[in-house]
Amino acid sequence: MANTKKIAVGVAAVILIVAVTAYASSYMSDFDNVPRKVQNNFEVIALGSETATVTIVEVGDYQCEMCKLWFEKTRPQIIDNYIDTGKANLIFIDMPFLGRDSVHAAAATYCADEQDEYWDYHVKLYELQQHVDDGWASIDRLHAIAFSLDMNMGEFDKCMKSDKPYDRVDFHKQKAKTDFGANSTPTFVIVNAAGDSQKIIGAHPYSTFEEIIDSML
Amino acid sequence: MKNTFEIVYSNPSYIIIAIGIFSLLFITLITISEFLFFEPFVVFSIYPENTFSFSLIIFLSLFSALAVSMNIYRIKLIKETRKLGSSIIGTTIGVSAGACSCGPIAFSLITTFGTAGSMASSFLTIYEIPIRLTSIGILGLVIFVTTKSLSHECKIKS
Repeated sequence: MANTKKIAVGVAAVILIVAVTAYASSYMSDFDNVPRKVQNNFEVIALGSETATVTIVEVGDYQCEMCKLWFEKTRPQIIDNYIDTGKANLIFIDMPFLGRDSVHAAAATYCADEQDEYWDYHVKLYELQQHVDDGWASIDRLHAIAFSLDMNMGEFDKCMKSDKPYDRVDFHKQKAKTDFGANSTPTFVIVNAAGDSQKIIGAHPYSTFEEIIDSML
Repeated sequence: MKNTFEIVYSNPSYIIIAIGIFSLLFITLITISEFLFFEPFVVFSIYPENTFSFSLIIFLSLFSALAVSMNIYRIKLIKETRKLGSSIIGTTIGVSAGACSCGPIAFSLITTFGTAGSMASSFLTIYEIPIRLTSIGILGLVIFVTTKSLSHECKIKS
């Protein structure tokens, strides 16, 4: 009887492992749900030329480890080869879900935007990222980052105490799910002028982006 | 020890079981850890700073395959399941570690369990390496004890 129980526990554990495998593979087959036409008329800040024919939408969380990996390994090559050359632009959509500081960090970028420092602040956050909610993106640290960028601290403080940046974060979070069908970070949607789109889930290497963007130019 | 391995894996069924368990775990773990992508096309990518994490996945999968297949042999031999339980627990802990950084599993955990899910996801991410090392340790111990035990049982039987 005792052996039967142990076998049952073992079988349950194996089923759990198989379930995890099935779940991991099922989300990867969700690509048919990609919206074929993506609305671009919402409040976003684009990096790169407004006339670029391809837009790379990144759905991310400032506390996401894999987003940082993509930021460090893939993004620089995309900036050099597609953004700086005017072929593509980049949009960041916030999906803060990993911890309480994710929301504050995202809100801080919009306060930075009021002083035209959005992308510099964005870069700083990924450069300074540590573990989830361990204090690296606390309100005090977010203020320190703003200070390091020579921002007007009075305006930044006033902005952070208001609802406005948090409303923008909520707007993005909703868009991440409804327009881009994101349920993890990083998720990317590459859109071209014809309205074709391709979804990429995960911190893919540069080669993936190169192949897709080149095919959409 | 070498003799025990020869006894167990002289039967091709156990080689197939071991290869099956290794493949299942290895592919699951490298997919969840974002070393391997299936969409939009198959891409394998490993950065130098992630080499250690990747090595741990190889060892974890290998040790799990050995521990589980040897214990299945052991169950058939003496109808005793205690060590199989240990090896499966070790495997489960190792598989869980680091599977929850910012992927869909973390999203599901957090949206389903709220703060508790967030804490679990965060814990597994932060302690990914120590948890995997612990699992490899548990599995190594299970393999060692199983090998000794099998060797003893085989001697008695012969």
